[in-house]
Parts: sequence; structure tokens; C-alpha cells
Amino acid sequence: MSASVEGALGKARRGVGVAGPGRAGAPRRGMRRGALTLLLLVLPSILLVLLINGYPLVYALNQSLHKGSLIATGDFVGLDNYANVLTSDAFWAAARFTVVFTVVGVFGSWLLGLGLALLLKTRIPASGTFKVLLLLPWVVPVVVSATAWNYLVATPSSPVPRLAEALGLGTPLFLANPTLAAITVCLFKVWVSFPFMMLMTSSALTSVDGTVYEAAQMDGANRRQQFTGITLPLIARSTYISWILMTIFCVNDFPTIYLLTGGGPVNATTSLVVLAYRTVFQNFQTGPGVAIAFLMTATLVVISVLLYRQIRKSAVE
Amino acid sequence: MSHPLHQNPSTPITPRGTTTRRGFLSLSAGTASLAALAACGGTGGGSASGGGGDTIAFWDMPWGEPAYNTAAEKLTTTYKPTGENLPAEYQTVQWNNFTQTFASAIASNTGPAVSTGGGFQAYQYAEQGAIAYADDLLETFKTDGIYDDFLPGTIEPFKSADGYVAVPTQIDMRVWWYRKSIFDQEGLTLPTTWEEYLTVATTLAAKGYSAYGTGAGAGNFNGSQGLVTMLINNGGGFYNTDNELDCVTDRNIETLDFVAQLRSAGIIDPAAVSYTTDNLNSQWRDGKVAMGIFGAGLDNEIGDTSGDLRVATPMAGPHGDLGCLQYLNNIMMYKNTPSQASSEAFLLYWFKNYGTLFQQKLLNGLPVLQSVVDLPEFQAEAQKAEIIKTWQPIGKTFAATGNVVSARAAAIDGGQALNEFAQTVLSGGGDSRATLEKLQKDIEAL
Repeated sequence: MSASVEGALGKARRGVGVAGPGRAGAPRRGMRRGALTLLLLVLPSILLVLLINGYPLVYALNQSLHKGSLIATGDFVGLDNYANVLTSDAFWAAARFTVVFTVVGVFGSWLLGLGLALLLKTRIPASGTFKVLLLLPWVVPVVVSATAWNYLVATPSSPVPRLAEALGLGTPLFLANPTLAAITVCLFKVWVSFPFMMLMTSSALTSVDGTVYEAAQMDGANRRQQFTGITLPLIARSTYISWILMTIFCVNDFPTIYLLTGGGPVNATTSLVVLAYRTVFQNFQTGPGVAIAFLMTATLVVISVLLYRQIRKSAVE
Repeated sequence: MSHPLHQNPSTPITPRGTTTRRGFLSLSAGTASLAALAACGGTGGGSASGGGGDTIAFWDMPWGEPAYNTAAEKLTTTYKPTGENLPAEYQTVQWNNFTQTFASAIASNTGPAVSTGGGFQAYQYAEQGAIAYADDLLETFKTDGIYDDFLPGTIEPFKSADGYVAVPTQIDMRVWWYRKSIFDQEGLTLPTTWEEYLTVATTLAAKGYSAYGTGAGAGNFNGSQGLVTMLINNGGGFYNTDNELDCVTDRNIETLDFVAQLRSAGIIDPAAVSYTTDNLNSQWRDGKVAMGIFGAGLDNEIGDTSGDLRVATPMAGPHGDLGCLQYLNNIMMYKNTPSQASSEAFLLYWFKNYGTLFQQKLLNGLPVLQSVVDLPEFQAEAQKAEIIKTWQPIGKTFAATGNVVSARAAAIDGGQALNEFAQTVLSGGGDSRATLEKLQKDIEAL
């Protein structure tokens, strides 16, 4: 490479033209003007977002620091509401159920969704119809699903308890027994959520190049090795994203629980969001209720950050 | 609250790491916060504000048949104010999220001038300075002769230290009902004491019937209200005669022991703890419940007006006490009104004319005015007339055995403490004293 060409490339890398440095001030002023224009253009949107999202957040934060009611802010109590919430048995019981509900909801729906996505990837007859049918739990409004599940399990004469009785399993009280109620609510969540996971996984699976599998087969990899060595790593990024989203959905899920059990029996299925709702709108304790909501938010952010790091890690690998 | 799954899952992440960590954090925090705070946010009020314009905004709840609100609106719009009084404007507020609807509207000064609402709503808003007291209105009622028309004991519970927080419009009661055909079929007679009830109920349970029809599942307060009725029936309640919270009493313990006996004898359905209103209504409709505590409109509510569902006679407790839980639904005025005189003038008109709604049989509740009770149309509703005759005189409010209802009653009725208490008792868990001690502690924390 000649010295003149090398010099020109060096100038180009430094942003200097072949003809010389030119007038540096003019483009910088132009850039500044452009940035200002852009800022002015997006300013209304930023203000709108701040107004819509920021104001309620600040207002709610203020409520969590006061002993108020639904219509009045009340006396400032500092962090008392947070301290009271964190030392209450009800909060920790709800937190424990939230963890169980979230773990079962995320991984249960993911496993089911992954399995069905893999099944639908194979050539089966009427796969399009199956896909539509499998989407129904997600498409149908949760209030309808909850009513249907209630019809199936609520009373001893409901279809599922009668089936259990016919099979000699006694008459299980699916919503009246605390343990069974917790299991039923978690299963309901998995049933409502698996189509979402199936869609996410199906989408990720279509992006995996088929030649990778052909190469693996030629190298003698069996189906299990292909699944663990190729499929899972290649859809890892999408999987982590779906886990993050489903975690947020589960922790914030109010209707699934509230419509089926109301948080009962005896708080066996009370999650944090249900507890927050009941504290504010049934006990009329605004400060503690909003404090619970903020604690939930903080926890969710931490979990999301951890999972997001995992995404970055998987992207680098 | 929106369904979380309806959030757009594709928004936060763009392909190949174009989302920064900070952007992602903001987004996830925002998503979480908004969803959480949505649980605590108001749903907005209505269109009419009590504090502005040239009309009196009247917000009314669905108190009965769907035609009720249409008829109530017609009654409102046919009001012709005299002098400088303002006309009234009607708006229906659904029960779903009504607490949020009122709270957000009142907080933003877009609420009504006059409204019906939750049974204890007036006490709450009076405590927060939003209620216009009804003392002057009641004075007008005295000169107009309406005051003496109220059934005994229906006005006094609304008296607070600062004045009357509301005026009663309807009575809702929790009374014992039974299915006559089952009693006839089994050759049973109606019990008049708890002891007799236990014998009858045991017989019914042996035949596969529920003799304590109840439910305490999602959104169903029948279980807790039934238990309060039992406590009152045995001369108990949450308060003592000095109006102090006093849940752990011998009478209350005795009542819970009796209920535990019903539970262990199979008289209370073990699944009832999770029954929603629909589940319980189905049990009544299908003839699986032979006896139980319910509101005044059971027959109408489950659509069985054949006359087979009948109101039972009050049963004396172990010490001879009679009693049941009584709600006094009411109408209240707010300080945020374009004209207090107009609010009162409208209510005077309302009370003089609202008997027509009972004549049309549109309400589930019971009238508070003797003149309406005496109407032939109301007397034709045999079960309701019977409730007024035999149960209303022994009805007590949530303040029992005291007589002062406070804002706290709103948090007790339908709150976490009472719901947990009912579910604990109906699921047969816990010692009676310990259960009541927990209830006392939970109510004190409200």
C-alpha cells in the first residue's frame, strides 16, 4: 500500500477529508441545530410520557409515605408503611405464594409451550387448526376462562370432582382446600399462558437454520444431543426474553387469581398484587397498599436485570 | 386492571441488542409499576360534577332489576324544581369498582351532589369531610310528615357527632330461608331455637341436603354476613354496649363453637368456603340447599318465585336472644354541590315519590317508609312483607351490640379481616377464641 493511500485512509478514520481539514465549525453548528430540532420534535412526546407515567408514579410514591385515604393524602409517616408491610405475616405469605405462582407460571407455561412448538414444527396433519385451537386459552378473555374453570372444579358436583370420584380418588375440593386451591390457580395460570410461550418459541425455532441439524446428524448427534446442543442454545435469547415477560405477567397478574379464588381460602392464594388491591380497596389503607406495589416493582426490576444480564451473556456466547 | 397478557410483548426488545440496559430498566420498571399501580388507581368518575353546572348530579346504584335504573332516571328527570332550585341529572354507577369510581371522582371534585352507594360509604366520606350533613333535610322531613313515616330504628344509626351522615332508603337483611318442598317431603317443621335447628339440620344433612347454605369464595360476602347474623342472633357482635371493639366475648365464642359443630356434623358444605355467588345461587336453585341465611330477595335473585322458597321464622339462640344483620342502604349529600338547598329539595321530592319504584317491584331491598310497606303492591310480595313483619324489628347493624356505626364498618364489611375470619370458621380451622382474637387484632389494625 502506498504512503499516500495509507495517509488518506488515516485521515478518513480521523474524519478528515482528503483535501484537508476544512472548516470544522460549520458542520458542528449544523449538527447542534439538527439535535435541537430533534429535541423539539420529541419534546411533546416526552412531556406526555412524563405526565402519563411519571405523575401517577410520583403521586403513588407520595401516597406510600402518608397515612391517607382514597380521597385525601393524610399525614406524612415517612417509611412507616414500608416497615409495617415488611414486618407483616400477610406480606411474606403473599410473597411466598407470588414466588410459587411465578415459578410455576413461567416454567410450566414455557415447558408446555416449548413442547407444543416442537410438536407443531414436525409435519402433522391440520397443524394450522391445532395452532388456532391452542391459542384459545390466551385469546379468550380471562373472565370467561375463570368462569369455565370455576364451573369445572368449584363444587363437589362439578365435572372434575365427579370424575375424580368415579376414579376412586374421593371428592377433592379444588378451591376449598388451601393446597389444592394453590395448585389449581397455578395450573390455571399455566393453561392461560402457554400459548404465549408457544408463539415465542415457535418464532425462535423458525429462525434456526435447518442445515445445522443436518450437519449434526452427519456428525452422529442423536435427537437429545441436537435438542440440548443446538435447539436450546440457539433459542436461548428468545427464551430468556419470554421468561422476563412472563415473570412480569405473573407477578402482576390480578384477574387470574382474583376471579378464581379471590385470594382464598384463608389467603392461601393471595399474591402480592391481590394483597395490594385488598389493602387499598377493601381495607381502605392506601399507604400500605401502594407500598406493597412499590416493593413488587423493585423486586421485579431486580429479577429483570438479572435475566437481562443472562440475555447479554447468551448474545456474547 | 387490564389483562397482563394484553401488553405488547414485542415492544421492549429490539433485535440484536439495540435496547440499552438503561432503556430496558426503565421499561421493565415502568411496566411493573403501571400494572401494580393500576390496581390502586381510580377508574374515573362520571360525566356530571356535583360541584359545577346548573344541575344536581345524582349517582345511583343498580338496586334491583335492570329496569330499576331506567325507572329511577325517569323519576329524576320528571322532577320539576321550584323557585331557584336546580333540576337533577341521573347517572347509574355500576357496583363493579364503585369504590374507585366514587373515590377518584370525589378527590377530583367531579363527584355527585347526591348519591346512593355502599352501606357505609357516607360514614367514610363524612370522616374525610366530603359529606353534607342531612340534619336540615330531616328537619324538613319532620314538617312534611315524612320523618314519622320511617320504620323504627332506621334513622338513628346515621347520627354522628357532627350530624346525620345520610338518610336511609332501603333495608337489606340477612335472614333464614328454607325450601318448603324439602321440609314437607322430609316431614320437618321449622325450628324456632338453635337446639331444634341442630336436630332438623342433622336430619337434612343425612338426606344429602345442605342446611346451612352459604359461600365465602371470590367476591361472595354471604359467608361473613351469615356469621355476623349468627353472632347477633346470640346476643353478640363486634362491639360492646359502650361502642368499643370487643370481638372476644363468651357469646361470640359460644356461637363459633356452635358453627364448628355444624361444620363437623356435615351440615355446612365443606366446599362452601370457596363458593362464589353464582355457585351458591346454583345450589339454592338446584334444590341442594334446604335452609340458609341470605338477603331479602333470594327468590327473585335465583329466579324461583314459585313460592317454594320461604322466609323462616327467627330462631332463638341458646339464651333466648333473637336478631339478625341489617344493612340500611342510604342516600347521601356531598359538600361539593352547586346548591345545598337544591340537593335537599331534590331529596324531598325523591322520598315523596320513590314508592312508585316499589309499586313497580323493581327493587331487591325493602322499603324504609311505613307508607310504602303498606302499599298493596309491596304486600303482594309475601316474603318481603314477612321479612318486614318478623325480621326487621330484630335487625341490628354492624355496630351491634353497640349503636354507633363508624367509618371503620366499611373496612370491616367486605374487608380482609372479616373475609379471612369467615373462611377460617367455614373451613373448620382454629379454636373459636383464637379465631376471634385474630379478628379483633385484624380489625384494630384497620
